[in-house]
Amino acid sequence: MTVAKKSAATQALAEINDFNLKMARGHRMLQRIKDEDVQIATADKEVVIREDKTTLYRYKPTAKRRLNVPVLVAYGLIGRYTMTDLQEDRSMLRNLLALGVDVYAVDWGSPTRSDRWLTFEDYVDGYLNDCVEFICREHQLPAINLLGICEGGVFSLCYAALYPQQVKNLILTITPVDFHQDQAEGRANHGFINLWTRGLSAEDIDRLIEANGNLPGELMSYVFSLMTPGATLSKYNVGLLDTFDDEKKLLNFLRMEKWLTDRPHHPGEAAKQLLVNLYKHNELIRGEFQLGGRTVDLGDIKVPVLNVYAKDDHIIPPKTTQALRTAVGSKDYSEIGLDGGHVGVFVSGKSQGVLGKGIVDWLRKRD
Amino acid sequence: MNELLKTWTDSWAANQQALLKSIFPVPPATAGGAKVDSMRPSLDEQFAELRDTWKASIEKWAEFAKEGSKPGALTPEALRELLAPARWSGPGAGAFDYGLRQVLEGPKFATLWDLDRKLLELNQLAVQRDKDVAAYQLIVQKAWNTAFERFSKSLLGTKAQVPDSWRGLTDRWLTVANETLIEVYRSNDFIEAQRRMLRSASDYRLQERRIAEAYCEACHIPTRTEMDEMQRSVTELRRQLRVLQRATRPQRAIDKTQAPQRKRKLRAAGSAARKSTDA
Repeated sequence: MTVAKKSAATQALAEINDFNLKMARGHRMLQRIKDEDVQIATADKEVVIREDKTTLYRYKPTAKRRLNVPVLVAYGLIGRYTMTDLQEDRSMLRNLLALGVDVYAVDWGSPTRSDRWLTFEDYVDGYLNDCVEFICREHQLPAINLLGICEGGVFSLCYAALYPQQVKNLILTITPVDFHQDQAEGRANHGFINLWTRGLSAEDIDRLIEANGNLPGELMSYVFSLMTPGATLSKYNVGLLDTFDDEKKLLNFLRMEKWLTDRPHHPGEAAKQLLVNLYKHNELIRGEFQLGGRTVDLGDIKVPVLNVYAKDDHIIPPKTTQALRTAVGSKDYSEIGLDGGHVGVFVSGKSQGVLGKGIVDWLRKRD
Repeated sequence: MNELLKTWTDSWAANQQALLKSIFPVPPATAGGAKVDSMRPSLDEQFAELRDTWKASIEKWAEFAKEGSKPGALTPEALRELLAPARWSGPGAGAFDYGLRQVLEGPKFATLWDLDRKLLELNQLAVQRDKDVAAYQLIVQKAWNTAFERFSKSLLGTKAQVPDSWRGLTDRWLTVANETLIEVYRSNDFIEAQRRMLRSASDYRLQERRIAEAYCEACHIPTRTEMDEMQRSVTELRRQLRVLQRATRPQRAIDKTQAPQRKRKLRAAGSAARKSTDA
């Protein structure tokens, strides 16, 4: 009895000691680290086009070119493209560069109230098309490789359907296609945005946009935080504490925080199309989505398609993106299912060797 | 006493009649003049008539007051409720709300300044928003209670099932809370409560804007709506510009390729002409 008591007391003392030491170590690290030490998207690049708030970057090569056709990376408007180059050892863009790809990436900038009237048409027919045409001109090519991420994947799908002659290969990552398949696997933590959006009426969304001008980035951050309540609860206590073992871990944590904090507003009219036409009415998979008076028919996409998804993606559940297999007109359709979640596919240590290599191997066969 | 009063009233009435006659002389006597006098009601009758009219009027007012008393009116009970500190923490106050609604839902007058009405509408929307936030928080609070109950139950198992470190306990709590909150967040009640909260917050913001715009208009400052309209025009103009640029771009490319040919043709034509003149 006495032994057991002593043992428990010893254990408690040891735990308290460990905890305090960890806290002290973390405190020291946080005092040492300055905001300038927490840098993201640092791969060497140059601006090649600037139009309104959109910027097209071309990345400086880090290895001998092994692909003839460049890749244009298009991120969505919920979040920023910097996630693809979070840090040196966790960067899809650097991995592509290291494998000999000529990489371009489009940054949509930070929309303000003045961008409220921008629509999907402006992004697809306007900015994205201008970027593609520029790259085609620069490289004297009729078509390029387009790599879309999340909502940027939807832009890329629309673009490939409407401008098939300018896309050589289409790569999609974590891209929603059938917005109503969120519960196809019956996983309770999957597809909350789908459910949340369907709960809103079109009028609610109109009023929200009218009141704010845009879909506020803060609101989307809040909705994302509702999807993982446990992680949200533990992030700044247990989560942060876990990083106090190692400064590298803490810096990874802080870089991710930097990316999350930098969530732009989504232009209002484009947000209505995303929430009402796509999330609520599921028009893309139904072949009813209209852009500039033209219908986006996924059957018109005849170029090779690679669809990369995350097996535990709670934002874009696998079935919502795998629906593309039967909808797309291409006979050359491939999928890569990666372990991890929505953002983990790009930033987790495990996926680093897989994502870039998977894309480049696939492209090489179709270069 | 009555006799005295009667004498006084008769004399007062006679004096009044004399005064009135002096001011408005009676036209020359008609044939029926005496008859007219006799047809006039006596003073008693006049008083009785006045009394009846007064009584009927009071009865009508009483009836009207009865019709108007609705449950939300400012009754002593409602006033007590309004002044109870316990009520202050909740959104809105019954009788006060009722009064506001009466003002807001009434008809509008074209030429009267209505800032006070706008402010009242804002207040009403703030009350609605607070109610929706409270309803939302109630659901979330229930979820936390459920999570805590589940967590407590999970600690009642055998010793092997109970974590023996603070970290183990924390992880257990986070797992239970995560599962419970996800379950609640996916419920229809939560989704609806959130929808209402978002909607009333938007409505409140829009009403705020209306008031701000009224001020801006009065002070010669561009309003949000005007700025939005201007931005819309700019966006549309940019679109048109892009279309024009695109339309001219391939044309320029063709021009570039055709320009030298045209020059060559012109030069050829010139040399041919020169040749013919030479000839």
